[in-house]
Amino acid sequence: MTTSTPNLSEVPGSILGRESAVTRLLLRRSAAARRARYSTIKIWVGVVCAGLVVIPVALAQVLPLPDPIVGALSESSLPPFSPGHLFGTDPNGRDLLSRILHGGQTSLVIGVLAIIVSGLVGIAAGAAAGYFGGWVDTIVSRLLEAQMSLPLLLMLLLVVALFGPSIPVITLVIAFAQWPEPARITRALVLVEREKPYVAAARVLGLHRVSIIARHVIPNVLQQVLVVVLLLLAQAVLLESALSFLGAGVQRPYPTWGGIISDGRELFVTGKWWLVTIPGVVIALLVVGVNLVGDGLRDRVRRAKGDQ
Amino acid sequence: MLTYVLKRIGQTVLTAFLATATVFVLLRMAPGDPAANYAPPNPTSAQLEAIRQQFGLDQSIPVQFVTFLQHLLQGDVGTSFFFKRPALEVVMERLPYTITLAVAAIVVTAVVAIPLGVWMARRANTAQELGANIATIAGQSMPDFWIGFVLLIIFAVNFGWFSPAGFNSASSIVLPTVTIAILQVALISRLVRREMVVNLASPYLTVARSRGISERALTWRYAFGNSAIPVVTALGTRFAAMLNGVVIVEVVFKWPGVGELVVNALKQRDFPLIQATVLVTVVLALVVQLLVDLLYPLMDPRVRLGEASA
Repeated sequence: MTTSTPNLSEVPGSILGRESAVTRLLLRRSAAARRARYSTIKIWVGVVCAGLVVIPVALAQVLPLPDPIVGALSESSLPPFSPGHLFGTDPNGRDLLSRILHGGQTSLVIGVLAIIVSGLVGIAAGAAAGYFGGWVDTIVSRLLEAQMSLPLLLMLLLVVALFGPSIPVITLVIAFAQWPEPARITRALVLVEREKPYVAAARVLGLHRVSIIARHVIPNVLQQVLVVVLLLLAQAVLLESALSFLGAGVQRPYPTWGGIISDGRELFVTGKWWLVTIPGVVIALLVVGVNLVGDGLRDRVRRAKGDQ
Repeated sequence: MLTYVLKRIGQTVLTAFLATATVFVLLRMAPGDPAANYAPPNPTSAQLEAIRQQFGLDQSIPVQFVTFLQHLLQGDVGTSFFFKRPALEVVMERLPYTITLAVAAIVVTAVVAIPLGVWMARRANTAQELGANIATIAGQSMPDFWIGFVLLIIFAVNFGWFSPAGFNSASSIVLPTVTIAILQVALISRLVRREMVVNLASPYLTVARSRGISERALTWRYAFGNSAIPVVTALGTRFAAMLNGVVIVEVVFKWPGVGELVVNALKQRDFPLIQATVLVTVVLALVVQLLVDLLYPLMDPRVRLGEASA
C-alpha cells in the first residue's frame, strides 16, 4: 500500500490543469459502482424480508395470539381476514397465524442450531484437511465424496425413525446433511492461505500448529466461510420443512412449518387453499431474505478480496 | 484411461456397498417390527415369530447381512415383504417413471437456464439483471413440495388442465417437471452467468471481436464454448442426484417412481424393497456421474483423466 500518490481529481490546480474527464456521474455509472449499489439493495431487501418473518416469530409469546394447539371448533375453517384470525383457521379451529409463528420458533431454533453445529464441524474439518494435508486430507475428502453419492434424504428419514423425531435429533440430522459445504470451502481457502508468508512467520516464531490454524489462518478465511454458513440457514429451514412434510418432523400437535403444510394438503382440494399457501409464502419470504443477504454479502466479500 | 475407468468402477462398487450396508444396519436398528405390519389383526406371538422366521429377521444382524451378501452375489436382492415379489422386479417397474421425470426435468432446465444465464451475463450489472437475479434467488428459496401444491391448486384443481395426481396420461408429467425445473433453473442459470461473465471479459474475446466476429458467435461459440464444461458437469451431477429419487416431488404428485416407492416401503418397513431401491439408484447415479466425467476429455482436449493434477 502506497499512501504517497495523491488523488489527482482532489488536488486543487491539478497538474492536468483541468477537470478530469472522469466525472462523478460516470463513476457512479461504472460497473463496479453498480455492483456495490446492487449488493446493498440485495442486502437491505433481504433484511426486510427476513425481518418480516423473524421478528413476529421471535415475539410469538408476547403477541396477543390465540393458542396454537387448542382451537375452538365453532371457529373451524375460517378464511383469511376473518375477524380475530388474520390468516384464518384450520378445521380444528386453530388460528393459522398463531400456528405459523409458534411453528416458526421450532423451525428457526432447529435451523440456527444446525448451522452452528455444521459450521463448527465443517470449519474444523476443512481447516485441518487444508492445513495438514496428507492422511487428514484424504480422510476428510473421502468422507465428503462418499456423502455426495449417498441417498441423503432416505438416510435422514431412517435416522429420524431410529432415534425419534426430537429437536436434538432433527438438528443433528440437518447438521450432518450440511457439514460438507463449509468443510469444502474452508479447505479450499486454507490451501491458499497456508502458503502465505504470515503463516511461515508464525511457524518461525515457534507457535503450535493448532494455534496457527485457530488464531491466524481461520480468522483470515472466516468472513468468506460465514457467508456460506449463513446461506446454509436458508437450506436448513427448507430441509426441516421437507422432513416435517415427509412425516419425520417434530410431532403433532406441536406445529412446524412443514407439518402445517403437510396437514393442509388433504384439504386444499376442498377449497381451503390458505392452509397450504400462506405457510409456504412465510417460509419462502424468510428463505428469500436469508439468501439475498447472503448473496449480497458474498458479492461484498469477493470485492474486498479483489476477485470478480 | 482404462485404469482410470477401472478405478472409478471399483469406487462405485465400494460406495454402493457402503450405502447398502449403512441402510441395512439402520433399518434393522430402527424401532418398529416389520412382522407386525404383515401379520393378521391381533396376532399371536407365535404367528409373529413365524413371520419373522419367514423374513429371516429372527437372526442376528451380522448373520442377516452375510446371508444378504451371499444372495446379492447370486443376483438376488430379496423378496419384497409387501408385494411378495422379487424386490428388484418391483424397483425396475418403477425406475422408468423416475428416469422419464429426471430426463424431462433436466432437459427443461438446460433449455431455460442456459439462455437465461447467458442473458444475465451479457446484461451483467444492469437493473434488468438485478431483477433476474432476485427472481432466481426466489426460485431457489421456495420449498419444492409447496411449489408442487400451489401448481396443483392452480392448474389441476382450478383450471382442470392436468390430472391432480399419479400417472394417467402424457400430460401428467408437466407439473412435476415444472416443479423440479424451477429450483434447478435457478441454480444452473446462476452458474452459467458466473462462468460467462469471466469468459466475456477475457482478452481472447477482445481479439476475436477485433477480427470482426459477430456478437452472436462471440457469445455462443467463443464464450459459451469455454463455459460449457462446468455447466455440463453441474447438469450431470443434478441429473445423477435426481436418479437417487426426486422423493418429495414424486410424493406430492403421487408419481409412481422409485422415490414414492421407497417412502411407502419405509412406512411399511419393507426392508428388502428399501435395500433394492438404494442399491439400484446409487449404482445408477454413480454410473451417470462416471459417464459425465468421461465426457470431459471429449469436450476439452486439455483434460487428461486419471493423471495427477499438479
